[in-house]
Amino acid sequence: MKILVTVKRVPDPETSIKVKPDGTGIVTDNIKWVVNPFDEIGVEEALRIKEKVAGSEVVLVSIGDKVAQEQLRTGLAMGADRAILVLADDLDPLGVARVLAKLVDDEKPDLIIMGKQAIDDDSNAVGQMLAELLGWPQGTFASQIELSDDQKSASVTREVDGGLETLSFPLPGVITADLRLNEPRYASLPGIMKARKKELKEIPVADLGVDVTPRVTITKMEPPPSREAGKIVASVEELVNLLHTEAKVI
Amino acid sequence: MHTYTFGQSDEQAMIRDTCARMLRPFESRHQEFERSLAQEGRVPEEFWQAMTEAGLLGAFIPEAYGGTAMGLTAGATACDAMASKGFGHPLYLLTSMDALCIANAGSDAVKDKFLPKIATGEIKMAFAITEANAGTNSFRMTTRAKRAGDHFVLDGEKTFITGIDQSDYVMVIARTRSRDEIKSAGLPKTACLSVFVVDSHAPGVELTPLPMRAIEGARQFTVHFDAVKVPLENLVGEEHAGGAVMFSTLNPERILIAAGACGQTEYLLDRAIDYAGQRVVFGEKPIGAYQAIQHPLADLRIRIEAARGLTYKAAAAYDAKVDAAETGMYANMAKYLSTDLAIDAADRAIQTHGGAGFSEDIGVIGYWERTRLMRTAPISKEMILNYVGEHILGLPRSY
Ligand SMILES: Cc1cc2nc3c(=O)[nH]c(=O)nc-3n(C[C@H](O)[C@H](O)[C@H](O)COP(=O)(O)OP(=O)(O)OC[C@H]3O[C@@H](n4cnc5c(N)ncnc54)[C@H](O)[C@@H]3O)c2cc1C
Repeated sequence: MKILVTVKRVPDPETSIKVKPDGTGIVTDNIKWVVNPFDEIGVEEALRIKEKVAGSEVVLVSIGDKVAQEQLRTGLAMGADRAILVLADDLDPLGVARVLAKLVDDEKPDLIIMGKQAIDDDSNAVGQMLAELLGWPQGTFASQIELSDDQKSASVTREVDGGLETLSFPLPGVITADLRLNEPRYASLPGIMKARKKELKEIPVADLGVDVTPRVTITKMEPPPSREAGKIVASVEELVNLLHTEAKVI
Repeated sequence: MHTYTFGQSDEQAMIRDTCARMLRPFESRHQEFERSLAQEGRVPEEFWQAMTEAGLLGAFIPEAYGGTAMGLTAGATACDAMASKGFGHPLYLLTSMDALCIANAGSDAVKDKFLPKIATGEIKMAFAITEANAGTNSFRMTTRAKRAGDHFVLDGEKTFITGIDQSDYVMVIARTRSRDEIKSAGLPKTACLSVFVVDSHAPGVELTPLPMRAIEGARQFTVHFDAVKVPLENLVGEEHAGGAVMFSTLNPERILIAAGACGQTEYLLDRAIDYAGQRVVFGEKPIGAYQAIQHPLADLRIRIEAARGLTYKAAAAYDAKVDAAETGMYANMAKYLSTDLAIDAADRAIQTHGGAGFSEDIGVIGYWERTRLMRTAPISKEMILNYVGEHILGLPRSY
């Protein structure tokens, strides 16, 4: 089975982010870049399927700047088979979904796994849009994925408000990964070594003939207001008292 | 901290990440880890297993023997990355240098026998060259190996041997002709040494523990070899030609030590920065605002860049098979710069922490001994200056 997995280059969640003074974006100097953690979970899930289903292929896709090669190499070092980098400036979710839909036409995967969202802009939109564009079923926020023995259908447990929901649908389909789906492996040295020889194909977005005109523009970005220091209270009584008299919440 | 890495490849960045991820489960138990080093004198076995799973042991081993042959740059990066988070394994360094030695100089038989098992982490190794009367001057060694049919017989005594109690094998440098025979034959003092891989548990190998303080996680021993049988195929390189084999192993050892020292410096500096930014003694400002605290830390940050630059240059020279003399120059210089730096880092981290710097719970005091060792062993700072004076500056030798 062929599995397509998205890999977005995002700032390390442990880096402290500063917004540019003119509010047009974040300061990208001096930050470390990583694979979007939800995508990494997607790669791990695809690799686990590959380990179970003989003859599977895991193809990674990233859309962005040439430097996103680093994140694709990381995914290849984890064990994916090959990678495609679509060279493009920042696209909005619909642009990304359209680019992916075009790649799906060419690659014809049986399954697409992607992070439920990228931790940079937190749109949580591409998976849903892609499924719609392709007319494929979707299982979002997956915390568990099970494939039927013939790999013709998937059963996806979703984390929804108030509990878990399990959906079954025929493949091909789109699944977006939630945090608890798995604990991703890291690249071992032999993995890094093997990744050297794996194919990483670059395609300029213009070559795909897809309309990526942005429908969404960022008008302003602001850092959240800084929080004031908390107050340490001496006893439970004092806490209850303050919640009543000062915070007026009880 | 390191976003721009001049001369460092993406692959090195990936290795750093791999190490950081490998260490994650140990980081939350760092104090417990340190305590087991100090109390049990060994690194927990699960740490070795984690290093093996990450493929760190295979970096020095050719692909044909189950390794990745990624080389010394990769291994040094791993040493550096682990040390920068406050972790390390003394037997990683020793096993690595032994593996390189076997891979470079060994016969097919000795490679077949040991390299695959090193790559999978199945065996750990120690290294024994020093004797009571042959430390800085290795050529005074008297440990003797004599050929007897299908094996060698090893007799003698090595001392200060690190971690041999935890090891499966130990690489031993011994004489295959006595010093007197060499003298009367008019041969140079470097002649007739040979390198052997010896089973650490073979009959006739006895260990006397030494009361030393320097390396937490591995103890030192005097090792007695009493008619120890060593199979012929355990000879590394040609018989009598071990001098060159031994020297070819010392450069990588220095480079790995230098890399570890850079990492230790980063770790100590990070600890000092954390504390200096929080500890308030007078008024409202933390002690990190005082230049007496801040400037020595800024100085360390500058010197890490310099030391890393030289260390990775040495590693790159080794990997590119630049001739041993030139690689040796960089390796020695890197070791000199990095180990002095780590000693200063330990001193300053302790100073920044005030009285807490001496607490075992804070854990920087252990670095006082750990870093200071490197000024003395495996080669002293003075011997590096001698080497540079004589071989690079071309000035006369004093001894
Ligand atoms: C904790 C620890 C672990 C060790 N682990 C190992 C191990 O695993 N395997 C192993 O084989 N060995 C090991 N050693 C031994 C170490 O390599 C030696 O201690 C070191 O080489 C110095 O030898 P020495 O102790 O005989 O000192 P000496 O040779 O007696 O030297 C004494 C002092 O004189 C100085 N000196 C000597 N000659 C000169 C000169 N010409 N010019 C200027 N100064 C000079 C030296 O630098 C040193 O400061 C270990 C040592 C220690 C302390």
